[in-house]
Amino acid sequence: MNFNGLSIDQAPPISAPLRFFLTAPIFGVIAGFLLLLSDPVALTNRFSLESIVSVHAITIGFLGFVMLGALTQMLPVLAGVKIPKVKEVTTLSHMLLVVGLLCMIAGLYLQNSVFTFFALVGLGGGFLIMIGAISIAIMQVKNFTATVRGMGVSLFFAFFTVLMGLFLLYSYMYEDFFTYHTIIANTHSVWGIFGFGGVLIIGVSFQVLPMFYVAPKFKRFCKKRVIWLIVAGLLLWLALNAIAEPLSVFAKFWIALFFWAFATTVWKKLNARRRPISDVTVWYWRSASIFLTLGTFVWIFDEWFSSEHIVITAICIGGGFVLSIMVGMLYKIVPFLVWFHLNAMGYMSIPTMNEMINKKLATTQFVLFIVSLLGFVCAFFVPVVLPLFAVTFILSMALLEYNIVTAALVYVKTKKTKPDFDMSAFST
Amino acid sequence: MATIKEYLTTDHRKCDELFAAMEDAATQSLENAKEAYEAFVADTERHFQMEERVMFLEFENKTGMTEGPTAMMRHEHAQMRSLMQQMGEALEAGNKDKFFGLAETLMILMQQHNMKEEQMLYSMAQQHLSAESDRIVNMMESMIVE
Repeated sequence: MNFNGLSIDQAPPISAPLRFFLTAPIFGVIAGFLLLLSDPVALTNRFSLESIVSVHAITIGFLGFVMLGALTQMLPVLAGVKIPKVKEVTTLSHMLLVVGLLCMIAGLYLQNSVFTFFALVGLGGGFLIMIGAISIAIMQVKNFTATVRGMGVSLFFAFFTVLMGLFLLYSYMYEDFFTYHTIIANTHSVWGIFGFGGVLIIGVSFQVLPMFYVAPKFKRFCKKRVIWLIVAGLLLWLALNAIAEPLSVFAKFWIALFFWAFATTVWKKLNARRRPISDVTVWYWRSASIFLTLGTFVWIFDEWFSSEHIVITAICIGGGFVLSIMVGMLYKIVPFLVWFHLNAMGYMSIPTMNEMINKKLATTQFVLFIVSLLGFVCAFFVPVVLPLFAVTFILSMALLEYNIVTAALVYVKTKKTKPDFDMSAFST
Repeated sequence: MATIKEYLTTDHRKCDELFAAMEDAATQSLENAKEAYEAFVADTERHFQMEERVMFLEFENKTGMTEGPTAMMRHEHAQMRSLMQQMGEALEAGNKDKFFGLAETLMILMQQHNMKEEQMLYSMAQQHLSAESDRIVNMMESMIVE
């Protein structure tokens, strides 16, 4: 019988998830500067080195980091299992990933194969250690719920996305591009965003939306079947890209259909939620739903324009959907972790979650973020405006970092000043 | 008759509804929210006691685990009771920001507690206590809150 998740000392130390969460917006700022320094016209082509570098600063540096941090924290709560040697594993893989990503940015930007080599080692090592450790934890799960299944499936796609990514990066090291380069690049990006990011978000939302917002439950069909239907679409995407590329539009349609349905479901559930509270996290859920809808439509209709607008799809789905959800989640999870760990230590005079982050600054951050995304879409058609929106994006990410660091500092300050130590609340 | 797992899971949702009604009332005015607050606290306290005084005891007797998951759940109940008490004080003092800040913290604490119970503890309890399920549900149903 497994009760790991139910005992206090089995909860991961606060540093394990926080190190990932606090690093993410820094890579967001770096991505903003990369956009600012890039040739705006080059960014309208998904295969330009400028595009690849800026996109990965976000997808690995922000999305990847937040997802790994969130899995570390959520596994004990949602699945009752914990990552083995969580402190050592997260410290090591975080360090490898930071160094690896910085080397990847430098290696591709400067076309320096030494940096690219270290990027391969760092990113490969960092991701595979985390994926391996989380897989070991998931294998111990006794009671597979829809959410845990989503986590497992997401990890499967994470593993292959990483392997394909390493292969693609290797080909840049020697500038030796194989025949299958485009197929692998297509599968890598679609599996990364929809398989790793999308499936994880859908799986977690089965729990989060009904429970935290007192919204109607997801239907049995959604919880039982949708993830497998998406998996089928993603596998079909690979198969058709490999053997009958012109038919891959069917897989695209299949994947887009279920994600569009998810976007609509999220919107409807938020409308039907019983909690009246509308905070920045709810706005992020809403914006994610709108951008995901737009993204799936652009992705499909772009078929008739030879995928010329794929960059817009990437902005809407990668930025507007996945990134929105991750940023929104940080506003809840970081203050909660601070409160939870301080409370568990016996401190009673802790600011409430809402007092840890200034509401006005969070709202400003949200506005800057949405303006940046809309600006990026405009910049696809009018590249000259890109620097302006790169600046708003940098500001939004810097403000996000400020907001969550402010919350994290409450933890440090409280531990240092020891305002009180009251155990009376624990007597029943 | 509902199983232990079904009965207590349904009761979680009832507490959630009362929580939402309390927040709804508090967005109008804190003065109006007192009744809804009392209703939420009363129901949540009843839920805690159904576990602590009935189901946890049966589980502990059957499995011999007194320092295991039930101890952790009791500890989280204490954390939630403390937050609910502070919410009552904020309500009396008319401090809206404090009230909603505490409510948000309670909501997240409560839901992660519910996830652990619904996905682990209740399943385990059902497995160990299946033969006595009806009796235990009846006892919880007829329990008088202290």
